[in-house]
Amino acid sequence: MDQAGPPALTFFERIKDYVRFTAEDSAALLEVLPAVQPHFVPIIDDFYDAILTHQDASKSITGGPEQVARLKKTLTDWLLELVSGPHDEEYFLKRARIGRMHVRIGLAQEYMFTAMNRIRVRLLNVVYGHLMPWPEKCSATSRAFEKILDLELAIMLETYRESLLSANRAAERLATIGQFAAGIGHELRNPLGVVESSVFLLRQRLGSQAEGGGDPKVLKHIDRIGNEVKRANKTITDLLELARNRAPTREAMSAQSLLELGASAANLPEKIDISHDVAPETNVLVDAGQMSQVFSNLFINAAQAMNGKGTIHIKTRPAGTKVEFRITDEGPGVPLDVAHRIFEPLFTTKAKGTGIGLSLCRRILEAHEGTISLAPHKKHDDETLGAEARGATFVVVV
Amino acid sequence: MVQAPHLLRILVVDDHVELAENIAEILDGQGYYTEVAESAEQALACLPKQAFDALITDFRLPGLNGAELIAAVHQHGNTLPCLVMSAFTDQETVEQARTAGAGVVLPKPVNIQALLVALHQILETGADAALVSTKPATV
Repeated sequence: MDQAGPPALTFFERIKDYVRFTAEDSAALLEVLPAVQPHFVPIIDDFYDAILTHQDASKSITGGPEQVARLKKTLTDWLLELVSGPHDEEYFLKRARIGRMHVRIGLAQEYMFTAMNRIRVRLLNVVYGHLMPWPEKCSATSRAFEKILDLELAIMLETYRESLLSANRAAERLATIGQFAAGIGHELRNPLGVVESSVFLLRQRLGSQAEGGGDPKVLKHIDRIGNEVKRANKTITDLLELARNRAPTREAMSAQSLLELGASAANLPEKIDISHDVAPETNVLVDAGQMSQVFSNLFINAAQAMNGKGTIHIKTRPAGTKVEFRITDEGPGVPLDVAHRIFEPLFTTKAKGTGIGLSLCRRILEAHEGTISLAPHKKHDDETLGAEARGATFVVVV
Repeated sequence: MVQAPHLLRILVVDDHVELAENIAEILDGQGYYTEVAESAEQALACLPKQAFDALITDFRLPGLNGAELIAAVHQHGNTLPCLVMSAFTDQETVEQARTAGAGVVLPKPVNIQALLVALHQILETGADAALVSTKPATV
């Protein structure tokens, strides 16, 4: 970078510059707002009809009519701001956030692209119809629409690129961790194996020495050593599992027994309850070992977020051929400023965390062609969570 | 504890000698007779001196690895039942150990009960035991 050069342009400034979008364009758009606004509803209905009636594109919309209603509202606001501006940096940041939402719900780039074009064609038709008697104005205003929609497309593409880059960074990080993990895991297995077998031998000795008891404190501490070794081994197993990236061996099993497996592996404190609405006949097609690890990690996180006391609420509903699990705790929720990073390998907010758990969960879900995400917090988004949702809600679709 | 009927002789090989010794001590407690070796080379030097009934070895060793040790033992028609312990239970490691003639491959950290069961099994069925465990012992 040339340090003495002019201040670097922001992404938005650069593309505005490129498409030559000016204050006159903003003004032209604003002027025509009263004429185009009445057409928003049919444009939006057409937009979502195209997505919803398409088998593949509709897959990213799993929330039923309520979600569609929310998305339509978002698109209405989006169109309103598109035309009314102001087209400043704040505008850009907001648009980028909406773009990220499309990435998050998994709307493929090709559908985003063609859907944007639908909006363009419909909007331009309205402009042509309205300004036909004034050819010059018509051409200036339609050019302004072309430009602003080019900008929007560039912003959308940028958010898809950002997400790809972030996935790449995560993959690189995982590869690095993998190399470390294999070496360190092996090195730690042996010392832990020695401790474990020594505990076994000590227990035997104590048992035979003091038939019917022995010093309860000594036994307590031996148990404690044994339990801590198990915990350390679990961390290593997670780490190695993350590094190894084993392909899942999927079999049909009931969602209930999957959750039970996860709960038993999590070894939750006594004061943690799990309430769920899973029907006995709900089945999933999963690798039981891997997916129980996912739920076990989520339960452990939830228990920690609630300081070892409270209820984990699980709600399920069908999502196409898959099942959606919403796992909500009663903790403080995930702070907004870290929410987008929690699935990154080695990222942690816990004093004793390794940053492996959630990245392992994501990797396992990816291998299952499923998804795991953090539901937006009620306060910051109008998506309605369950009534009990005060804390963090993780959404697993598998 | 069930005592083994005869004093069956087990050779335990691990370069982490404390682990080998602990395993040996546990087996002693179960009525086996054990010897410890710290490397494949040491094990190979040990084997001709006395008759063993089974071999338990780590996979990763300095010098020859566990699979190569087993292959060397089995080279001259010796059918000594062998069990491999490994921190890596990926397909390749398991395959290598099995091809060399390991009856059982156990993941590290070795679950003691699983080890005792597996040892009993290979002693019963010999080196060709078809059981290969690749699942982590702690689930």
